[in-house]
Amino acid sequence: MKDPPASMLQGDLQDQKIAGYHSPLGVTRTQTVTFRGVQVQSGFTFDQVDVAYQTLGTLSPRRDNAILVCHALSGTAHVAGLHPNTGRPGWWDFHVGPGKAIDTDKFFVVCSNVLGGCDGTTGPLSPCPETGKPYGMDFPPLTVRDMVEVQAKLMEHLGLSQLFTVIGGSMGGMQALSWAVHFPERVRVCVPIATCVSHNAMQIAFNEIGRRAIMTDPNWNGGNYTPDRRPNHGLAVARMVGHVTYLSEYAMARKFGRALQPPVNAADAEAALFAVESYLHHQGESFVSRFDPNSYLCLTKALDQFDLFEGKPPEEVLRRVKARFLAISFASDWLYPPAQSRELVRLLKRARVAATYINLETLYGHDSFLIQNPEFAKVLGHYLENEYGSGHRKDAAAAA
Amino acid sequence: MHPGIYQCVMEWVPEGARVLDLGTGDGAFLERLVRARHIVAEGVEKNPELVARCIERGLVVHQGNIMEGLDQYGDQTFDYVTLLGTFQELISPVEIVREAFRVGRRVIIAYSNFAHFRVRLQIMLRGRTPVTPSLPQPWYRTTNLHFLSTLDFREFCRTIGVSETRHACFNSRGAVVFLPNLFAEEVVALLESAR
Repeated sequence: MKDPPASMLQGDLQDQKIAGYHSPLGVTRTQTVTFRGVQVQSGFTFDQVDVAYQTLGTLSPRRDNAILVCHALSGTAHVAGLHPNTGRPGWWDFHVGPGKAIDTDKFFVVCSNVLGGCDGTTGPLSPCPETGKPYGMDFPPLTVRDMVEVQAKLMEHLGLSQLFTVIGGSMGGMQALSWAVHFPERVRVCVPIATCVSHNAMQIAFNEIGRRAIMTDPNWNGGNYTPDRRPNHGLAVARMVGHVTYLSEYAMARKFGRALQPPVNAADAEAALFAVESYLHHQGESFVSRFDPNSYLCLTKALDQFDLFEGKPPEEVLRRVKARFLAISFASDWLYPPAQSRELVRLLKRARVAATYINLETLYGHDSFLIQNPEFAKVLGHYLENEYGSGHRKDAAAAA
Repeated sequence: MHPGIYQCVMEWVPEGARVLDLGTGDGAFLERLVRARHIVAEGVEKNPELVARCIERGLVVHQGNIMEGLDQYGDQTFDYVTLLGTFQELISPVEIVREAFRVGRRVIIAYSNFAHFRVRLQIMLRGRTPVTPSLPQPWYRTTNLHFLSTLDFREFCRTIGVSETRHACFNSRGAVVFLPNLFAEEVVALLESAR
């Protein structure tokens, strides 16, 4: 294995500043739309659901170039371009933009914050209409399918009866899979990345560590915490554990090794931290400033409960799928290991779905799809271009 | 691989067939086959860089070794399963051919003939492990695990209960008809289940 470029070591764009970062999209804004009377799978009905979303690029006259990007656990609607307030790039700016793998010169890209999230879409932090206070623990349990149903309403609002592609990694991949299964007529191409059809015991275990950290924080207060007394320590620990599971031994060794972070006060040599400790502290603190603890519980529960087949035989469920698939996994991903993607692909193929599978040798663990990753970008870019082109050729042949 | 082998596969695979190509490499041949015969094709390739090349060509491809690749598919998913260039490198050819017949109705296999006269002469006269144009690597670098002749291949087919319905033999001068076990360097065979 050749040594990967140092740029990969920069990591993802979510909780750090990269000096001099340039996004060709410039400043991009998020919009909000409100839907009334939204019922979720648990039976609960929301009077009102706000959905924060971003669109990039231009919809083609044939309305056939829309790509829905589904974000992962800690992602937001701000997928690419610079945030108008913070100036930070969107979480997938490496791969979404003009000339990038998801090319905004060719495709109309939509990304929305998930139901249950905390970046503009209705979630546990939103005011409950009856009390005017945040839902908190009264927020109903959600499923990945609930998130997708709300995205489907957004697509209707945007006049998109068909999506060229639904794509996402990790939790985003679960959403992409749910789209292909529950809206088979509306998805032409599905790209699940580093994901699975249901969590295994280890994935549930790591999520439960995070949840316990939050719920045993002295400020937890049964979930009815106030903005000035939040279970921040618990949430930070949850993020630290999560972050370790997103990396790989190789990535951590190369990025930090056993390097020491010099203490703020030079005389206080005892206080020296390993660079990796300091990094995780930073990740935890940065996450606390932008994420709601109840939202973290709500979303991780939805992930653990996720079962693409909802207890039915996989072949029966997948037989109605019409989309073509590109499944991508990463050899170094131990949180969503390649075996889970292979299992997905096997079930798809047994149901005679046209599925391409590649296990990229990127060394950076689960986060491999969030970082600068030329191999990933190349494969994704070519696949989307070919599928979009072949769709055009087929349409032209049908018209002739 | 002799170009004549590709030509044979082009002729043997009918228009519109469903084809699974095992060990598809960079997908150059499979792409030609798709274009020329309008087949519905999938490839299996273990090297991720070559898989990426297949994706560039717009092929449906699965990254994995041949056995994993075959295991992905239900019974009788394909009309043809092709194995063009790795047969003598497979650890367990019997299991793979059986699996290929589970997944497809017909199987096309290409292999090198180790009974070519140049090979025989090198062993007999020089007492050395042969290195020839179709066996270019010395013993310590070759990826070939099994050494078979056209006669061995026919016996293999009989043993596992499949019949060779067509075959074509080639050497550097072109097609070989006369004494193929002596003069052929590469062979391609179309197999059907005798069941």
